[in-house]
Amino acid sequence: MNRNLFMKEIKRNRVALFIWMAVIVLLISVTMSVFRTFIANQSKIMGLLNIIPGGLLEFKGISDVNALLSVMGFYAANNVIYMMVLGSIFSIVLSANILLKEEYNKTAEYLITKPLTRTDIFLSKSVVILVNIFLLNLATSLAGLISLELVKNGPFSLKAFSLLSLYTLLLNILFGAIGLFISTVVKRARPITTFCIGLVLVLYFIYTLSKITGSISWLGYLAPFRFVNTDVTNPAYGLELKNIAYFIILSAVFAVASYRFYIKRDIYA
Amino acid sequence: MINGHTIDIEDLSKFYGRVKGIENINLTINRGEIFGFIGPNGAGKSTTIRILMNLIFPSGGHAKIMGMDVIKQTREIKMVTGYIPADASAYSSMEVGEFLNYCGRFYKKSGIEGRIKDLSELFELDLKRKVEDLSSGNRKKVSIIQSLIHSPDLLIMDEPTTGLDPLVKALFFDLLRSENTRGMTIFFSSHILSEVQLLCKRVAIIKEGKIIQLEDIESLRKKQLKKVLIEFSGKPDSGAFSIPGVVEIKTGAGNILTFLFSGEISTIIDLLSGKMINNLIIEEPSLDEIFMHYYRI
Repeated sequence: MNRNLFMKEIKRNRVALFIWMAVIVLLISVTMSVFRTFIANQSKIMGLLNIIPGGLLEFKGISDVNALLSVMGFYAANNVIYMMVLGSIFSIVLSANILLKEEYNKTAEYLITKPLTRTDIFLSKSVVILVNIFLLNLATSLAGLISLELVKNGPFSLKAFSLLSLYTLLLNILFGAIGLFISTVVKRARPITTFCIGLVLVLYFIYTLSKITGSISWLGYLAPFRFVNTDVTNPAYGLELKNIAYFIILSAVFAVASYRFYIKRDIYA
Repeated sequence: MINGHTIDIEDLSKFYGRVKGIENINLTINRGEIFGFIGPNGAGKSTTIRILMNLIFPSGGHAKIMGMDVIKQTREIKMVTGYIPADASAYSSMEVGEFLNYCGRFYKKSGIEGRIKDLSELFELDLKRKVEDLSSGNRKKVSIIQSLIHSPDLLIMDEPTTGLDPLVKALFFDLLRSENTRGMTIFFSSHILSEVQLLCKRVAIIKEGKIIQLEDIESLRKKQLKKVLIEFSGKPDSGAFSIPGVVEIKTGAGNILTFLFSGEISTIIDLLSGKMINNLIIEEPSLDEIFMHYYRI
């Protein structure tokens, strides 16, 4: 890894990171601030929720409306779309562009001709992706924890909160690896942000569709969201090793494949 | 370094799918030499250079710089090599000084800051200006400076003068001569022959991915190729000069016939016997004409 390149990339991405952090923290804070009002008016709101189509609620991340009555259930249901979907969009957009933008901005001509190997460049940029994803998840988890403490109507499981945060982090890392992979296999360098955002949204749509349509539930396995357990109010909620292994193995496969492609990639101006 | 060669290229080929970039290029560049690499756009100059700089990978053959393999020892090579790309951008949000210092830190050498200061003063480049606010000429100056900040032993340049005004170009060439005197080898790729002529001692002409001529620039000039201009009294008979060694026959206004000729000049004199001529000029052709001659073979 090259420290000079790492520091430059951290500096270069910090504004985007702070904006994403601020947006997600704000969304979580605003959402959690209505929890007490929700509890105070639960009979009216529950009645209203019961007439909303299940599919729409699933898309919003609400599988069980009764779970919303606990602060942790409310947090998991309402924030899943922010932390999982927005965090994944941040991760995939960052990683898809971090190598590729050097090519389409024509700065690769300078970077690659400095005393660095392709491995140095790949490792430095990969560590930048990991640090950014980690910092985003740290900030959003802290915001979630603080807001849970501020609005809770009873004790909540810190273990469930930590596990949900861990799943979100692993999901974001997987999308980071997918973004890196896409950027190393595209033939000609060009911005692929729109494609990557579309990919996350399509996968999220497939995931929700698989949850509401029993006959195509198998489709959900195509979407990484399926492997994030958000059922935090279930007393049996715990670490599922097969899900953790899915994220780690798939992230490693995409990262290694990206590396293999990048070290042999022809770089054009 | 092998046999005093700074660059050794052996059977180097690059194909883009089925399209040929370069094919079986063989080239050696000696230490301390200023070497010209000329050919029009698309001839394979940039492809060759991009392989040397590890930007792209060859389809066949191999290349070494100072005895080091351009793929396996790329980091070591780049520690002692500077590169001026034909078309590149510095990070637009950075200030010039910030970008040059960023480039300099990769070399982990002392004296880089002083070198940046000296070179930016020489080229009158404001280090506080943002890269995005620079003209194309000033961006080229940034490119030149970043290639020289670590005082490299080899400088590889791909069309380095694009965007430079004549005064800056002269300043740049003076700097190159001075660096060459210090011992720096220069590999100068260009399609502007007058520039190559000004700076280089030896030259390779590349055509459709293959080197078609490699020799000293002076011998290239002095080679039997002559430019012949004959002013006839009447209408010239160009057909009479269609003999081996004659190329580029052109008839112009005022009964003038011009052509390039390689061979014994007495052959031309013999052809002229009995013909009424007003003037005969035999001179060395310009480098452009020599280049075009090789290019049309």
